[in-house]
Amino acid sequence: MKQLKEIARAQRGKMYALVMISILLGVVIVAQAYFIVAIVDSVFLQRESFQAVLPLLIGLIVVLIGRAVFSYLNGRIGVNMAAKVKKDFRESLLRKYAKNPIQAALKGQSGEKVSILMDAVDEIDSYFSKYYPQIIQTSVVPLIILVTVFYYNWVSGLIMLITAPFIPIFMIIIGMATQKKSEEQLEKLAAFSGQFLDKLQGLATLKLFGRAKEQREVIQKSSLEYRDATMTVLKTAFTQSLMLEFISMLSIALIALEVGLRLVIYEQLTFFIAFIVLVLAPEFYNSLKELGSAFHTGRGSMGAAKKVTEELEEKDKPISWGERSLVKHQPIAISLQNVSFSYENSGFSLQEIKGEFPSTREVAIIGRSGSGKTTLLHILSGLLNPLDGAVLVNGHPLFEYKEKDWFDQLSYISQDPYLFAGTIRDNIAIGGTGNESDQEIELAAEKAGISEMVRNLEKGFNTAVGEAGRGLSGGEKQRIALARAFLKQPSLILFDEPTVGLDLKTEQILQQSMKELAKTSTIITVAHRLHTIRKADQILLLEKGQLLATGTHEELLSTNPHYREMVSAQGGEAQ
Amino acid sequence: MRELTTVIKLIMLERKDIFLSILFGFLAGMGAVSLFANSGYLISMAAINPPLYVLTTSIALLKLFSATRAASKYGERYFSHRATFTMLSNLRVHFFEKLEPLAPRIFHRFRSGDLLSRIVGDVESLQNFFLRVYYPPIVMMIVFLSTIAFTTFFSVHVAVTLLVGLVLTGFVIPAWFALKQYKIMSQLREKRGVVSTEATEFFYGFRDLKLYQKLDTQEKNVRTTADQYVKEQRRDSIHELYSTSIIQMISLSVSWFVLGLGAYLVGTGELEGVFLAMLVMISLTVFENATPMAIFPAYYEDSRRAATRLFSVINDESENKGVVEEELLTKELQEKDPISINMNNISFSYPGEARKTLSEINIDIPSGTKTAIVGPSGSGKSTLIQLLLKFYDEYDGDIVVNGSTLAQVRKESVWKATNTVLQSNHFFYGTIRDNLLLARDTVTDEEMKQALEMVDLNEFSLDDKVIEKGGNLSGGEKQRLAIARAILKGSRLWLLDEPTSSVDFVTEKKIYSHLFDLGKEDTVVLISHRLTGLEQMDQIIVMEHGRVVETGTYDELMERKGYFYQLKEIEKSVLM
Repeated sequence: MKQLKEIARAQRGKMYALVMISILLGVVIVAQAYFIVAIVDSVFLQRESFQAVLPLLIGLIVVLIGRAVFSYLNGRIGVNMAAKVKKDFRESLLRKYAKNPIQAALKGQSGEKVSILMDAVDEIDSYFSKYYPQIIQTSVVPLIILVTVFYYNWVSGLIMLITAPFIPIFMIIIGMATQKKSEEQLEKLAAFSGQFLDKLQGLATLKLFGRAKEQREVIQKSSLEYRDATMTVLKTAFTQSLMLEFISMLSIALIALEVGLRLVIYEQLTFFIAFIVLVLAPEFYNSLKELGSAFHTGRGSMGAAKKVTEELEEKDKPISWGERSLVKHQPIAISLQNVSFSYENSGFSLQEIKGEFPSTREVAIIGRSGSGKTTLLHILSGLLNPLDGAVLVNGHPLFEYKEKDWFDQLSYISQDPYLFAGTIRDNIAIGGTGNESDQEIELAAEKAGISEMVRNLEKGFNTAVGEAGRGLSGGEKQRIALARAFLKQPSLILFDEPTVGLDLKTEQILQQSMKELAKTSTIITVAHRLHTIRKADQILLLEKGQLLATGTHEELLSTNPHYREMVSAQGGEAQ
Repeated sequence: MRELTTVIKLIMLERKDIFLSILFGFLAGMGAVSLFANSGYLISMAAINPPLYVLTTSIALLKLFSATRAASKYGERYFSHRATFTMLSNLRVHFFEKLEPLAPRIFHRFRSGDLLSRIVGDVESLQNFFLRVYYPPIVMMIVFLSTIAFTTFFSVHVAVTLLVGLVLTGFVIPAWFALKQYKIMSQLREKRGVVSTEATEFFYGFRDLKLYQKLDTQEKNVRTTADQYVKEQRRDSIHELYSTSIIQMISLSVSWFVLGLGAYLVGTGELEGVFLAMLVMISLTVFENATPMAIFPAYYEDSRRAATRLFSVINDESENKGVVEEELLTKELQEKDPISINMNNISFSYPGEARKTLSEINIDIPSGTKTAIVGPSGSGKSTLIQLLLKFYDEYDGDIVVNGSTLAQVRKESVWKATNTVLQSNHFFYGTIRDNLLLARDTVTDEEMKQALEMVDLNEFSLDDKVIEKGGNLSGGEKQRLAIARAILKGSRLWLLDEPTSSVDFVTEKKIYSHLFDLGKEDTVVLISHRLTGLEQMDQIIVMEHGRVVETGTYDELMERKGYFYQLKEIEKSVLM
């Protein structure tokens, strides 16, 4: 709430414009009353001719048009403020997310982040487009009306001054008394609303068990319960507006009584004054009441704003890269020096990992799931910043190099490569510099063993693959990632080996391709397959974030009982 | 409009609430008009020294009208919301009834994502239909017409002016804005869709974007599209604002005209001056009832879209054709016998897909035998089971079950005869007991406990809570619970699709030994993700790319040293 107010104040020009327009609006409302009353007074009591009131009528139409125009302008400024705020929020969020190291992106909260960027930011809209302009209007317009009424008839003014505070006071009292109750109800509502979706999603299961038909009653029952709970919440809101309505009606009636009595019995007032007070009184109370409804819209925005600002305030440690250059196709040797890492809010940590990855050699990282293999791969690729220790590349710390030079040298083939919306050609070309010819792309696809499959598609390389490569199987996606690597010809390849589920042909292609890429590159594999492990120059065996042993297959077999056990557990094919 | 007729029919079920909403809406509207008419009259009368009783009556009336207005407003709100939520309940039930016969086959259209939650959202958004589209114009009409009728007693000219104002603010202007709204809203949605896609790419493809140094480009994409989206939203808001302001301006102009006309008529003596203030107050107040018309176009368009999308799901004719045909089928599968299955030359592709998922499949499963189907992911194993369950029936070739063509057999009887565990199994909000009771009404607690024991879920109590989609259960727990549910069903054909892929090796072995014990006499079809433990199967079917590449017993296949043998070799070489 506070932040939103500050943001609104920051748009100074617009805020002043809102105040100005609200003042004009107040003036116009008073003028409208004045002209109407003057015209009726002239015609009805002074018995003046139609021609005589013509100037007043012209004045009135100008004022009426003015009122519509000012309301429009007021709203328009609000809309513009909202547009700017939404734009700014989205930009800061994006800047923040883009700088974030991979850690945040991998926490598996991508869906949530999309929703913050889209829905939460959109919800902020109504604070600026509705609530804020209304607040300013309500602080200005009633004041102008009050001054006018005091000017004409101080007794009515006094009644207004005394009764007006009852509206906000009652709003607060009722609000406090009912808030807790309605919050409880709202929780119940959230639970209810999920159930219809639950039944729809489980429809297949229900049918297989022959239970679908009887669910009709269940849905009806829970739906009606949902209705009743909602009505309980709404009833408190309706009662609140009923009370406000009563207060304002009573106050208006009081004023009517006062001016009526003073007009007729005491003859202290003229018709003109009595009438203008009576016209202005409803405008006064309406303006106050509108604040109440604007408040409800504003409250939803505040929740959303809290979510967004919390997201922006979350600490992050961006990686800063250096200026050292790395020549393309230069051999790469990596050395891990006591590297440690831990994720925020999770017990897992990598502890003091040491390892040498000589150039153009193959190193395998093995271990049970959850032992930290993928995390280590992320550190080696420069996506994560180790908390302690260093990653040395050709003798210099990794982050001393230029970011671009480093990533230009590296390919990362994950278990589930991401395919972007676009054609298959685009998805392979992303691995290159952007200047590759069609032949080069097709050659890369050929080497990755995917060109036959692509050519069989109706549109060949121009086939669009949807978001995240929908329509392609896991093996096909992995082969596209391989094609990217062939196009890039990197000096370092990080490879997260597939576990199960690939067909024999893909298996063979993967092995063949890796063999070819290995001729010129340093290869680091998260390995699951014995043949990969056997031919590795070095094996790192991880267990619960710790390095258990290092060595070749033969060395580990003879020295490490844990390794021996792992190998023999899988069907005893140790040799 | 055609789409909304069903919604209107459902609304009409709640006649009483609708009547009361309109009645109280009318009373509230008239209360305000009378209140201000009365105060205008009161003040004018007061100016010309009337007898006191006129004043006191007027003041009493003033109070009455105030109270009526406030109380009626409450009543209107209460009944209109009640009607709305009852309507939503009717809509959910109606929708469920229509969707039910189409499931589960219709779910192929939902594979791509959250269409179901969008449906639920559409139902919710239809709550605005009654509240903001359906009854406010009715109330407005009645209030206006009554007011106009009242003013004819004083001045026909003023009445005609009000009538013109009603036509303009109630019909002409909203209709004009509704036309433009359609275009603006569809553009807005399109823009939103684009941003959402770009943002999804940004987050889900973060690692690859970073590695290929395309993160900046993508960030820029999201930013540019988001800016366009905000601009479009701004246009939409200003459009709405514009519509509100135009209606306000016209309302005020009509009141101005009433005042000018009244002043003129007083001058010519056609109208008594004492009524002038009253008529102006009436005009100013009655147009308050026209304000809801400013938001009418947006809500109308919104409801129309929601209804269209909602009913397009259940009114699809090709889907419904299947339902009608289904009702004509009479063949039942006898539950008591174990089932035999023959698949002759089956080829199949999913609706809307060119690629064949199954090609020329020939399978023979004699009754009481145990069959395993293995093969890489995407080879068509699960599709086979879906065809057996009659989720799809537009395949080439035919499937014969216990001597009857499957196409002639009623779906319900097929489902009744099978114990099915699919790759993803739904669990409902409730308790473990509730979810197990789905299997059979007659299941006792004792039986349930036994079944839980067989799948090694002893630690669960029958009263343990389950949340929607079984969200509080792990993958392995869900699979084991699904097996327990299938065990309790007690039919004679088992269709198991990778039922233990998330269960550890030891537990898996234990569960299988119970299953094969229970299903000794039954026909079992098991899709297996692992190649171990298949030695006891009567036949193993190996699939790749939608074809059967090998069939035989474990020993036969190992001896042949073909595809199965090679898969087995790979599996042996994989650690973990």
